[in-house]
Amino acid sequence: MCQPCVSSIKLRLSVLPQAQIDELRAAVGAAGLITAESQLQTYECDGLTNFRVLPGAVVLPQATEQVQAVVRFCTRHRIPFVSRGAGTGLSGGALPAEGGIVISLARMNRILEVDIANRFVVVEPGVINAQVTQRVASEGYFYAPDPSSQSVCTIGGNVAENSGGAHCLKYGFTVTHTLALEVVLPNGELAHFGAPMLDATGYDLAGVFVGSEGTLGVATKITLRIVRRPEVVQTLLAAFKTPSAAGQTVSDIIAAGMLPSALEIMDRLAIEAAEAAVHAHYPMCGGLLLVELDGPGDEVAALMREVRAISGRNGAAEIRVAQSDAERALIWKGRKAAFAAMGRISPNYIVQDGVIPRTALPRVLTEIERMSSAVHLRVANVFHAGDGNLHPLVLYDRSIPGQEEIALDLSYRILHLCVDNGGSITGEHGVGKEKQQALGYMFAEPDLATMQLVRCAFDPDSLSNPDKVFPRPRLCADKPGPYTPHPLEISGAAEIF
Amino acid sequence: MTATATITREEAFACLCAIAGPADTRLEGDAIRVAPGSTGQIAEVLRFANENGLSVVPTGSGTKLGWGNPVAPEIFLSLARMNTVREHAWQDLTCTVEAGCTWAAMQAALALRGQTVALDPLWPDRATVGGIVAANDSGALRLRYGGLRDLIIGMTIVLADGTIAKTGGKVVKNVAGYDLHKLLTGSFGTLGVIAEVNFRLHPVEQHARSWTFTSTDPLRFAKPLRDLLHAQLALSAAQLRFASYDCALDIRICTRPECFDAQAARLGAIFGDLAMTEANENVWQAREQLFACADATIVKASMLPGEICDVAMGFMRSAAAVDVSLVTQATGLATIAFSAPRAAGANPILGAVERLRARLRPAGGSVVVLQMGEVPGEAPGRWDCASDALPLMREIKRRFDPNRVLSPGRFVGGI
Repeated sequence: MCQPCVSSIKLRLSVLPQAQIDELRAAVGAAGLITAESQLQTYECDGLTNFRVLPGAVVLPQATEQVQAVVRFCTRHRIPFVSRGAGTGLSGGALPAEGGIVISLARMNRILEVDIANRFVVVEPGVINAQVTQRVASEGYFYAPDPSSQSVCTIGGNVAENSGGAHCLKYGFTVTHTLALEVVLPNGELAHFGAPMLDATGYDLAGVFVGSEGTLGVATKITLRIVRRPEVVQTLLAAFKTPSAAGQTVSDIIAAGMLPSALEIMDRLAIEAAEAAVHAHYPMCGGLLLVELDGPGDEVAALMREVRAISGRNGAAEIRVAQSDAERALIWKGRKAAFAAMGRISPNYIVQDGVIPRTALPRVLTEIERMSSAVHLRVANVFHAGDGNLHPLVLYDRSIPGQEEIALDLSYRILHLCVDNGGSITGEHGVGKEKQQALGYMFAEPDLATMQLVRCAFDPDSLSNPDKVFPRPRLCADKPGPYTPHPLEISGAAEIF
Repeated sequence: MTATATITREEAFACLCAIAGPADTRLEGDAIRVAPGSTGQIAEVLRFANENGLSVVPTGSGTKLGWGNPVAPEIFLSLARMNTVREHAWQDLTCTVEAGCTWAAMQAALALRGQTVALDPLWPDRATVGGIVAANDSGALRLRYGGLRDLIIGMTIVLADGTIAKTGGKVVKNVAGYDLHKLLTGSFGTLGVIAEVNFRLHPVEQHARSWTFTSTDPLRFAKPLRDLLHAQLALSAAQLRFASYDCALDIRICTRPECFDAQAARLGAIFGDLAMTEANENVWQAREQLFACADATIVKASMLPGEICDVAMGFMRSAAAVDVSLVTQATGLATIAFSAPRAAGANPILGAVERLRARLRPAGGSVVVLQMGEVPGEAPGRWDCASDALPLMREIKRRFDPNRVLSPGRFVGGI
């Protein structure tokens, strides 16, 4: 994927002492330990490639006990650890900690239990999102959260990020579908949150853990709710002159009391990119609306008639309903490939993930347009319109000196714009490393201090994915920027190359 | 005042009067009841209580004050004055409501735009938003719309030390920071005082119809219930009712008017020869009606959907020393009322509750006593938690409320 690479820093760090490597080998076996620098480089970043840190070691445990042994090792030696699934995250959440251990859950990839009658499955964290649906599809069920990376991303990573996807408008997020968790706490103890049934006694620790971005421990077993596959799914494309007209149609659909399973909008730039990449046969227009309805057949048919009428009233130049599963799949292929497709129309780009109240859409789009033309950059817009989740893609060319900094600054100002309009800095990508400072723009100090109470209860030594999510204290007053030198770099303990 | 208190009751009363005003501060038995008029005043009351070692129980209208272990606080912090719907962004399907607003008042305001918080808690006319959230109450609509965990998108809370914190936001999709509102939901006033809640909204169900099937054999419903949840129906709610030797399954369908006939036909096919009767909407009051008997011991049981009929059958087979009435949602959440004659000797309800706990525990289920009936002999424990996460829960409590000011001892594990 084409990503910005602000300064491409790599911190070359001293390897762990041999005695510690021996301890790790005892914990996970020789085949589960990586210490060679050439192999460690695979783990130096996630989907946000402009942050890179070489870990001290990578472990690949195959069982909960091995995860516990590694976490206990980390606690004993005060070494930070970062758990990692497929590394598809877009906010730097799986960026290694300096000199720390990366716990890759890739080998814990078994589906342990399938209970169709009670509609849940128990999986290990390394199971790939799409595999859950594949496993239960023949019984007529599916796993609802569907991030665009679902063919490669893992459930463990989904739990860490509280992943959403295009269909969360109706079906909710990962947290909606997480019933129970087995977690290795940052002190190495094992704890179980929730139960396969609703309302387990005590605080809703599963609810807090989901979306905590790896800062509260390592999930080693996850009990997920599965959902009955709807009888009928219908997908409609409507072409409008502007994204605002498409946005008005979304508002009217919601106002009519409907809850479609997906409502997506793409602007002209995004359509161009998607067409260039996967030839989805989208109508070329200023604002393309994708509406998906599902449910009992007769109900869907009635609602689809209404959606057509509403689209027509808002001036849709063209309305198409997918006539086959293949057509439907192609429509989605174009939408889900939209980020990567930006590489077709721009050398570099930045993906953002702001959320706004749906009604703020027209004024926020106008403002984004004003901001982007002021700095002579293009911004493509792809959004989950039903829930107001924007994915502005700031397009730029790294080879033009200074343009990357301008692009980054613009992307952060767009996030601030979302907050100023009553929204959020992230709808599904997480705060991670990328938006730490922006979190300080969204929440006041007492809010962040209260979140820290939870962090400290779970992880008093800040070993589990440290220096993520929360604003760095030393930078609290700073303007968010592309790059600040790391203390190790300043001290000479690490070098940039 | 308890041993931890550092000032006299008279001094405390005077200080609270100064914060909330004399009209909204009064003596009530051994406690002081104070009703702050703003989030800032809640913070002042809590800061004062925290600094002086005075225990505080937050309360709305008090409908569920008896739930959890008994607490005799020095201060009842009433949310009665904080009772407005602050914001209804109807085009965004969200609202912000003060915690002391009754559920019915909130719903009436939202209904002006045809919207609702899609949850049917107990006693909506009296119960307040804050109390419902703190007790994590939910009814039959949970099958379709989820519980409070799924409907709450943000909160304003006040911690024991007076810190006012916001969590979440006013947009449905938001993964920024920890979801503290999930921690506060169902925390029974032990972590903080809920001052405001932001909800996601749904359109009011325009067209709904309910049907009831009856049988004397709960197991007769086992397969239909399984098929029902697997069928392509626009289900809004489903509940099993059981009392004495009569058993009924109520089903609510919510769809467009032109689709009801097809849905009803599918429903009939699932239940075969069982008679299908169109039901009055009152059947959905059944859970609340269990509480009408003040002497009953009432529990909330959490079980797998596949266990629902089996558990009901178990009660039918057990000895008649205890009368059992239950309403179990298709989600597996049951409200069960036990009554027994006032006889000397062992409390028969204790045995019934413990047997149910033993029955549900292996799969992960639990039984929590909501209302304790007055039956002589040993009473069952209120909470049922074998979790290895209890030490972590205690640590969270310690971090949020180090002086144990908020509802001390009310929650699971003495939290």
